[in-house]
Amino acid sequence: MLKIENLHLSFGGIKALQGVNFEARKGEITGVIGPNGAGKTSLFNAISGFYTPDQGRVYFEGRDITDLSPDKRAALGLARTFQNIALFRGMTVLDNIKLGGHSRLKTNVWQALRYFGAAQKEELELRREIEERVIDFLEIDHIRKYPITMLPYGLQKRVELGRALAMRPKVLLLDEPVAGMNREETADMARFILDVQEQFGTTILLVEHDMHMVMDICSHIVVLNFGQQIASGTPVEVSKNPDVIEAYLGATA
Amino acid sequence: MGQFAQFAINGLMSGAIYALIAVGIVSVYKATKVVNFAHGYLIMFGAYFYYTFAVIVPGQPWAPEWLASWQPDWMVEMKGDLGMFSPLGAVLDWLANLPRILLGLLGAVLANAVVGRIIERTLMRPLMGQSVFAMIMVTVGLISIMSGGAQLIWTADADFVPHIAPNTPIRFELFGTMIFLFGADLVNMVIALLLFGGIVAFVRFTKGGIAIRATAEDQSTAYSMGISVPQVFRRAWVLASVTGAIAGAILATRNGISPSLGLFGFSVLAIVLMGGLDSYVGVFIAAMTVGVLEAMTQWQLGGNWAEIVPYVAVLVVLIWRPHGLMGQKEVERI
Repeated sequence: MLKIENLHLSFGGIKALQGVNFEARKGEITGVIGPNGAGKTSLFNAISGFYTPDQGRVYFEGRDITDLSPDKRAALGLARTFQNIALFRGMTVLDNIKLGGHSRLKTNVWQALRYFGAAQKEELELRREIEERVIDFLEIDHIRKYPITMLPYGLQKRVELGRALAMRPKVLLLDEPVAGMNREETADMARFILDVQEQFGTTILLVEHDMHMVMDICSHIVVLNFGQQIASGTPVEVSKNPDVIEAYLGATA
Repeated sequence: MGQFAQFAINGLMSGAIYALIAVGIVSVYKATKVVNFAHGYLIMFGAYFYYTFAVIVPGQPWAPEWLASWQPDWMVEMKGDLGMFSPLGAVLDWLANLPRILLGLLGAVLANAVVGRIIERTLMRPLMGQSVFAMIMVTVGLISIMSGGAQLIWTADADFVPHIAPNTPIRFELFGTMIFLFGADLVNMVIALLLFGGIVAFVRFTKGGIAIRATAEDQSTAYSMGISVPQVFRRAWVLASVTGAIAGAILATRNGISPSLGLFGFSVLAIVLMGGLDSYVGVFIAAMTVGVLEAMTQWQLGGNWAEIVPYVAVLVVLIWRPHGLMGQKEVERI
């Protein structure tokens, strides 16, 4: 579904990624882990189009998207959330989520003026879909009219997930979805991620530090260290890999 | 009281022009986070383009005669025995100029849109993703290029340009005093207000406007939500240069044409800061306030003070509210 082939990325002398290879399989949850500075977020930025890799290719449903701009990739069905919450702070929860559906609205001003009915219908459809597919689904009905700044951190993260879902993505990139959350909030978020995969069959790629969560919900894990891919496999395989143990715990004699 | 009303009306009329200029600065700031120091010079270009298409082009030997002065028989006949200051005479004079006024406005809008696009594409777009400060510095550099460029291109001395609307004097009584104003000023105000309102409605209610607002809040997020950020940049610059062209044409009819028109941008920048860089409503209030204050100062203290007092008020407001009247808290200060 999403295939990364021999990706290299450097900033001046810093080699952020050196030959990353893996595939996020359709309908599965793939996790990317690694110590701080391993290149996880750089990888995400290269996949969503903010960085241009020096070498290597990114394929989306078999199509080479390495040279597309971020908005074009989003239109193909690639959605992401950010490590630091990146909601539009001046808007309400509902407006934020509706913005996720923005790129799918086809009508422009002139068409809207001439065929008001069609534009209205499109808008209403988007709205209904958002109600069912996002707001009810994520259980955020009670806060829909709230401004973002009034919400606690955990809920803001959930709204950000909602906005990504409104884009009706085929592939969802989650950058540290449970960072800074307590155990209860983490469990909630893990449940929502699993629900998304199950109900919509979305392919999910996530970066996370919380080992328990990654081991629990991912079917495939990629481990990065200093920009290099040191392991890739099922959670059990990865957790037994000596290189991974060394990267995380230091060398054991 | 009547005097007061007279000066208040004068103030509102210049306030509306300030608002029209300010709308360009705010739009570019909202979309790109760049404070465009060169906006006044974009307006100066608009004024020169208006001059080019409304005066120079119709004056060429190859231009048809009706373009320079449209004088159909019925008009000559009607004009025959009218007095010096008759309103009908002013309207007829305006009608004779109408072809070149329309050509001037159309030409100014199109030519300025091209200038705006060139600036955006060649100077701003390559800097996308770099520090905003670099882009702001580029606009400062643009000032020299544009004011020098204008003097190279338009060497002719300042000349008369036709008013956009019939400049008939209007007199009416209010609170026992005669109020006196010019028709052209009134129409200029209406044009400025309509454009301002139209742009605010565009940004608030249309899809393209939502894209601008989303980009204003967070560029990279908007980009990954499928909004084409380069397109938003382009729209904002074109919007600024088109409103700037109209503002330039209006200023040219009021103040005459010279490279110093660009300086207007700086006074309006102060007004924009007072209103809040990213708030159309705040900037509108600030523009009207400064316009009225200016007129009142002129009335009570004389013309020399009129250049100082309103900007002292701007300063006071900024000390009291550093982000402007209605600016967002996170807004960067400059």
